[in-house]
Amino acid sequence: MEFFIVMSKVWSQYWRLFMHGLGMTLLMGFLTVLASTVFGSLMALMRRSNWGIGKVKPLQAIAIAYVEVIRGTPILLQLYFFYFMLPKWLPFLNLSEFACVLIACCVNSTAYVCEIVRAGIQAVDYGQTEAARSLGLNSRQTMLHIVLPQAVKNILPALCNEFVAIVKETSLASTFFIGELMTQFKTINGITFRVLEPLTIVGIIYFLLTFTLSKAIAVFERRLNASER
Amino acid sequence: MNDKKELIRVEDLHKSFGSLNVLKGVTEQVEKGEVVSVIGPSGGGKSTFLRCLNLLEVPTSGHIYFEGVDITDKNVDINLHRQKMGMVFQHFNVFNNLTVGKNVTLAPVLLGKKDQKAADEMAKELLDRVGLYEKVDQYPKKLSGGQKQRLAIVRALAMEPDVMLFDEPTSALDPEMVGEVLQVIKDLVKTGMTTVIVTHEMGFAKEVSDRVLFMDGGLIAEKGTPDEVFNHPQNPRTKEFLGKVLY
Repeated sequence: MEFFIVMSKVWSQYWRLFMHGLGMTLLMGFLTVLASTVFGSLMALMRRSNWGIGKVKPLQAIAIAYVEVIRGTPILLQLYFFYFMLPKWLPFLNLSEFACVLIACCVNSTAYVCEIVRAGIQAVDYGQTEAARSLGLNSRQTMLHIVLPQAVKNILPALCNEFVAIVKETSLASTFFIGELMTQFKTINGITFRVLEPLTIVGIIYFLLTFTLSKAIAVFERRLNASER
Repeated sequence: MNDKKELIRVEDLHKSFGSLNVLKGVTEQVEKGEVVSVIGPSGGGKSTFLRCLNLLEVPTSGHIYFEGVDITDKNVDINLHRQKMGMVFQHFNVFNNLTVGKNVTLAPVLLGKKDQKAADEMAKELLDRVGLYEKVDQYPKKLSGGQKQRLAIVRALAMEPDVMLFDEPTSALDPEMVGEVLQVIKDLVKTGMTTVIVTHEMGFAKEVSDRVLFMDGGLIAEKGTPDEVFNHPQNPRTKEFLGKVLY
């Protein structure tokens, strides 16, 4: 009983902080999702590109190396890396802490989205490509009009999972106190010395956020499928 | 005087997948208006031979001349030549993301052969001919196998090709749908379309072909008129194959 009383007290006193944290989490999640979808898709196309000189395919090699390195190192390490190295290497940009952390999240997520998009493209029956090419479409037209529209349906569910993961991973950014939800927990914990109550509130907010997100995407997915029935 | 005109000429075509030699030097030509059936056991190289004709498989060596142009030349824009070679696949490969109508009009419009309005009119006429016009706004998911294959044929015809290549067009169909697809091909052949068809339908090959090629072991083991190949085969492999096949 005491738990609920303290929780409601914490909420009524610090709801502004929670809401501010939610705003920052949303902003980070949204920007990361946006950037990683764009760059991840481009990276996937690079990964599939056959362009090269002789046996060397530079675009493909870069994409493979990128994905392997990012997937092979912890995201926390990447956060530290960009947080400390970006201001050092690019001082003229005057990057804020928030920007550095955001860039790290985007770099990380781009690698995962790249693999999601690549798998989605690969899952489209190769016969579709052959049929398009046999009509005289070039590889770009085939990709644009036949393969990608079908790949989207394979990609969307996995992308949804990635988006939910991104929203949760932004909590790691609290290491650098940039003001998202988890940072607010640390702040309130520091003021009140309570752990369970503010943590529960933050947990509920995260859950509501990701739950809404997956439901929204599920509706979108159903619409997309309905168009072909 | 030879009034027939050569459309496709294949010279010493070789194709290997890794260490597997599928085609071991095929030389053949197809004349304008000719209907050529390719028969033979599985793994004999029939499909690979057909798929080499529009370079869906890139030959390991040898030359393919289409309307006088060596399309195996790396400097040739194969996309331009493919526009004139229609292909129909065993597994239909109709575009799942497009309506029946769009399946037909996409390529002609995209490749600048027709504007959307002219393409729509042509699609109506072609789809009418194969009894599919009522499905024009539906997606292929709703079609039966036979309907999908008829759509695939129409899609290829919409590019107004000079030759039609059929790769086992009825092998993936339910038995009761084979007839409707063969009928469409028969009607097409009657219009004088140059046709190369890989098939296991011996009766059909016998009926519609001007010439029959029997392929085995990566080579053309026997060729001739349907009467020569089916009724008086010379090669023992042809005899053995035809003896096993019921038709």
